[in-house]
Amino acid sequence: MTAFLQNCFAGLALGSTYALVALGFVVIFKSTGVINFAQGGLLALGAYLGYTFSNNLLLSFAVAILLACGAAALVGAGFERLVLRRMVGQPPFAVIMITIGLLFVLEPLITAIWGFDNHQVRNPWNINTVEVSGLVFGVKDLWTIGLTAAVVVGFFVFFRYSSLGLAMRVTAFDPEAALAQGISAKKVYAVSWAIAAALAALAGVAMAAGPGGLSPSIGFIALAAFPAMIVGGMDSPAGAVLGGVVIGLAEALTRGYQDQLFSWAGDNVSVIVPYLLMIVILLIRPYGLLGTKDVRRV
Amino acid sequence: MHRRITLAFVATLLVAGCGGAGNQGGSQGGGTAGAPPSTTGFDGTTIKLGVLSPLSGPVAVIGQPLTAGNKIWFDALNQRGGVAGKYKVELVQEDTLYKPDVTVQQYNKVKGNVVAFTQVLGTAPTLAVLPQLKTDKVLAAPASLDALWVREPNLLPVGGPYQIQVINALDHYLTEGGGSKDAKVCMMLQDDVYGEAGLQGLQYAAQKYGFTIANTQRYKTGTENFTGQIQALAGCQMVFLTATPTDAGKIWGTAAQAKFAPRWYAQSPAYAAAMAKSPITPYLQQTAIIVAEGTEWGDEKVSGMKDLVSRTTQFGPGQQPDYYLAFGYNQARAMTAVLEKAVQNGNLSRDGILNALNQLGKVSFDGLTDDYQYGPAETRNPPRSSTLFAVDPAKPFGLKTVKYNTSSDAARSFEFKKTG
Repeated sequence: MTAFLQNCFAGLALGSTYALVALGFVVIFKSTGVINFAQGGLLALGAYLGYTFSNNLLLSFAVAILLACGAAALVGAGFERLVLRRMVGQPPFAVIMITIGLLFVLEPLITAIWGFDNHQVRNPWNINTVEVSGLVFGVKDLWTIGLTAAVVVGFFVFFRYSSLGLAMRVTAFDPEAALAQGISAKKVYAVSWAIAAALAALAGVAMAAGPGGLSPSIGFIALAAFPAMIVGGMDSPAGAVLGGVVIGLAEALTRGYQDQLFSWAGDNVSVIVPYLLMIVILLIRPYGLLGTKDVRRV
Repeated sequence: MHRRITLAFVATLLVAGCGGAGNQGGSQGGGTAGAPPSTTGFDGTTIKLGVLSPLSGPVAVIGQPLTAGNKIWFDALNQRGGVAGKYKVELVQEDTLYKPDVTVQQYNKVKGNVVAFTQVLGTAPTLAVLPQLKTDKVLAAPASLDALWVREPNLLPVGGPYQIQVINALDHYLTEGGGSKDAKVCMMLQDDVYGEAGLQGLQYAAQKYGFTIANTQRYKTGTENFTGQIQALAGCQMVFLTATPTDAGKIWGTAAQAKFAPRWYAQSPAYAAAMAKSPITPYLQQTAIIVAEGTEWGDEKVSGMKDLVSRTTQFGPGQQPDYYLAFGYNQARAMTAVLEKAVQNGNLSRDGILNALNQLGKVSFDGLTDDYQYGPAETRNPPRSSTLFAVDPAKPFGLKTVKYNTSSDAARSFEFKKTG
């Protein structure tokens, strides 16, 4: 039982990281209809910014996270303002290609500034643990879960009660009606990119604070988080969180019981489980667990 | 010490069939066959060598210092006049992104401009270009310690292969490390050819020393959470780890959090200097031994290290102490030995280079790695020794020597076979 609970906790922590990344995907998709393939690059940028604030400028870790999120948000909003705004009205495919271009620009930019070496981010979590009834909880994992929960609550409050959140929901639902009501689509798009980049930075710094440290490959997690977004529903923030947790739990539990239950299928069943799960869920619910079904008049 | 070696002594070594490329860089002159004529990659004055390395992307963390090691050796050699004291070496670097297909493209791009390749980084990229190396009769030095290379006539490997590292580590564990053949010995490895090389070494050691491998955990590179694997290893008294640094950091961090503290032995590429100044440092100090080659950075008792540090200061200012830098330096040194021999034969053509390798005897690396017995691929004998290191944050690279250049009977009896 202890092993099961330990695996569940590992899955929840992993799923929380996936959820933060998937939320970034969803925020942009929901407001602009575009899948942002640069999310992994923004995550890496945010992580390195956090490293600079924490290790080079010797700011406290909490301040470093906030500044990293803020700086990443500026980069996201700036990119939208300078590049993507010129693409308004163009086919989503063209915008998606631009996000892929941004990813390929960010990668060498990051290594040009910070180099290729592995870095350790100064942080108060380290590999500290809390032990409760024989279960060991990593402090970093607890914080990751807590931060994700806080973000989810923040999202709920923001979209439900703020005028900007309402504007974003309206724009996502019907851009033309939103424009008719005087809502600035440009502002909504810029805010979406800022939020997505800030979320990526938060996930990046949280990941970099782990024992694996910070290396340019940190952004690869975006690929692993992709199924979380699909499973949850591409336009559903709640779905992103649910998808992240489902994928994280499935991965951790499969790995935990690999030797007992899945040895017949090779050594890396846990790696393919997220994608198998994604296929199965899409077969049953093509729009994901909480995604909105597209209704068309024929 | 080698700085004081006389030209006569170097000449004696060459007559004895040794590969030169010592610290004097073989400045004994043109040899017996006259000046080599111009050929592909050699215009009569400058020898061009190719470098196929991931200079960008995630594996650049290895490619950059390794290439810096190549450059430092050749810059120092050029300052002394170059190969045979008169032919300067120029490197033609191409970025492979650590992708086999890109490596083949870059190989084709530069093969017409170089005499040989002094670096092809990675097992998969090397395997990708190997058929063409054979067709084109080109020599290349692989930057990986895979045992596959030992019997390949178109390759110039350096260092003791991964299998040797594992066997020597197990010998240390069983003889001096508190282990016994009844101990629960386990392994954790990444699921690729590098991981399999480590497993092959462990299986050989198990057969030789009569222990059983109690548990083997494989993982895919880039795995984010290792809780499942660490749980599965519970009860293991010794775990051999074949990994790369980012994954190894997460593995050890997860183990430390789970308070799982077996004796870890880890293959050299698992370690990075940043680990000696990280949250897992105390855990590593308590549990880990890294199996590599040579000596700790800055150990002036080893002449090769003394020269490496001095040349790095002169030709690579700003370069941090790095295992891969020393590897690249050794690669360049081995290539220099081949070039010296080819110049001595008066033939720097592709056939001439391969012929020189076949005639090459033992090449010394002045203690940075053990001597390599070159010659025809079927008779080559790579180093059978390894050095065991403990993590020590006070050391420049974070490693202090536990046992220098140790070689077990089992490692000496390991046979290298040609792949299909």
